[in-house]
Amino acid sequence: MNGLINGFKAIAPSIPYIMNGIWVTLAIALVASIIGLVLGTLLSLCKIGRIKILNSFARGYTSVFRGTPLIMQLALAYFAIPQLLGINNVDPFTAAVLTFGLNSGAYMSEIIRSGINAVDKGQFEAASALGVRYWSMMKDIILPQAIKNILPAMMNEFISLTKESAIVSTISVTDLMRRSQIVSAQYYLYFPPMFVAFILYYIVVMVLTFLGGRLERRLSRSD
Amino acid sequence: MIKAEHIIKNFGDTRVLKDVSLEVNNGEVVVIIGPSGSGKSTFLRCINLLEQPTEGSVRIDDEEVTAMRSKQVVRVREKVGMVFQHFYLFPHKTVLENLTYAPVKVKGLSKEQAEERARKLLDQVGLTDKADQYPSRLSGGQKQRVAIARALAMEPEYMLFDEPTSALDPEMVKEVLDVIQSLAETGMTMIIVTHEMGFARMVADKVVFMDDGQILESTSPEKFFSAPKTDRAKEFLEKIL
Repeated sequence: MNGLINGFKAIAPSIPYIMNGIWVTLAIALVASIIGLVLGTLLSLCKIGRIKILNSFARGYTSVFRGTPLIMQLALAYFAIPQLLGINNVDPFTAAVLTFGLNSGAYMSEIIRSGINAVDKGQFEAASALGVRYWSMMKDIILPQAIKNILPAMMNEFISLTKESAIVSTISVTDLMRRSQIVSAQYYLYFPPMFVAFILYYIVVMVLTFLGGRLERRLSRSD
Repeated sequence: MIKAEHIIKNFGDTRVLKDVSLEVNNGEVVVIIGPSGSGKSTFLRCINLLEQPTEGSVRIDDEEVTAMRSKQVVRVREKVGMVFQHFYLFPHKTVLENLTYAPVKVKGLSKEQAEERARKLLDQVGLTDKADQYPSRLSGGQKQRVAIARALAMEPEYMLFDEPTSALDPEMVKEVLDVIQSLAETGMTMIIVTHEMGFARMVADKVVFMDDGQILESTSPEKFFSAPKTDRAKEFLEKIL
C-alpha cells in the first residue's frame, strides 16, 4: 500500500501532463464527430435517395468502414497510404482526426438513415403538398425530427469515439492514453499513471453522458 | 378548373383506380363518398401527384400536371392545398411556425408578412391563443383546424380534404366541419373525401360516389341522397344512414 502511495507521489509532477491529454482526446472526438455528422448526413441522404449510383456508393462506403478494424484503418492512413503516395511528415493528429471522421461518417449515416425512416411518412407528404422543395424539406422538416429521435444514439456514437480515440496512441498522437504510457515508461511505474488516465476517461464519459441527457430533455420540449 | 381524365392507378398488381374521370369547376365543392378501400383517397392524392397515376392525365388550370417534371409539380402544388386525415402538423414547430414556414420558404414572403397572415388565419379558425403552442399540446380538432389554416396560408386556389374528420373524437368533428363549411361559403374550389353524410349533403354542389376504384354516380346531393341510381349506392346509404 505504501508502495502504491509512493508511486502516485513519484509521478505527481507528471499528472498535469497526463490530464492535459484530455483536450487532445476531446479534440479528436469533437472534430471527428463533426466530420462524421456532416458526412453521415450526406451519406444517409444518398442511401434514401433514388439515385442508384449514389445509393451504391454510400452503401459500399459504409460496408468498407464498418467491415474493417478502426486500428487497421488508422495504420493505413498514417503509415501505408502516405508511403504509397510518397508523402513524408504526415501529422499524426490530422491522420487520426480524418480516419475517425471518415469512420464515424459510416456509422452515423446508418443512425441518421434509421432516424429518417422513423419520421412519419405523412411529414414528407404534408411538406410536399405545401410545395416545399426536397432539400428544404429534408433540412427544415425531416432532419430535425430525425435527429431528435436518434439523439441518444448519436450521443453514444460521440462517447464511443471519445473512448475509441485511445487507439490513436498507436500512431504517436499524445492523447490521454499515450501520455499515460509515456509517463509509465519514464518512471517505470505502470499503475499510477494508467489509473489516472483510466479515471479521467471515466469522468469525461460520465460528463458527456450527463450533457447528452440534458440536451435530449431540451429537445423534447415539443412533446 | 381541375380535370382528371381516365386515371388508372396500380399498386403492384392491384388496380386501385380503374379509369376515373372528374371535372371540378371553379367555385365548386365536390364531395367524394364511398366505402373504405374504394380508391377515394388515392384519387385525391393523384390530383396533387402525391401519387403518380399509372395512366391518365390531370389538368389544373389547363396545365397538364401529370406531364410535368418534378420541379414544375412543386409550383402547381402551391395552388392546391391539402388537408390530411392525420393532420401531419410539423411537431417541432409552433402553431405559428407551422403556418409561416411554407409561405416564407416557398412563396418568399417576409417573416412579418407571413406572421400577419398566419394570425389572421388562426383568428379565422378560432385559435388565436394557440399561436405559440406546439402541436402536441392541441386537441385533434384544434390540430386539424391548424392544418387547414396551414394549407390556406399558401393562398391556394384549390383545397383537397382527405377524410378531415375521420381521426377525430366525435365531439370535435363539428368544429372542423364548421371551418370547412365557412371556407366553402367563400367560394373556394374544394374536393372533399368524407364519411360525414349530413355534411356532404349540406356543403356539396356535387356528390361523387366511388366503389371499387370507379365512379358509380356523380350527381347533385339532393338526387344522390334521396334517389341513388345504382344498387351499390343504395346499399351503401342504407348501411350508414
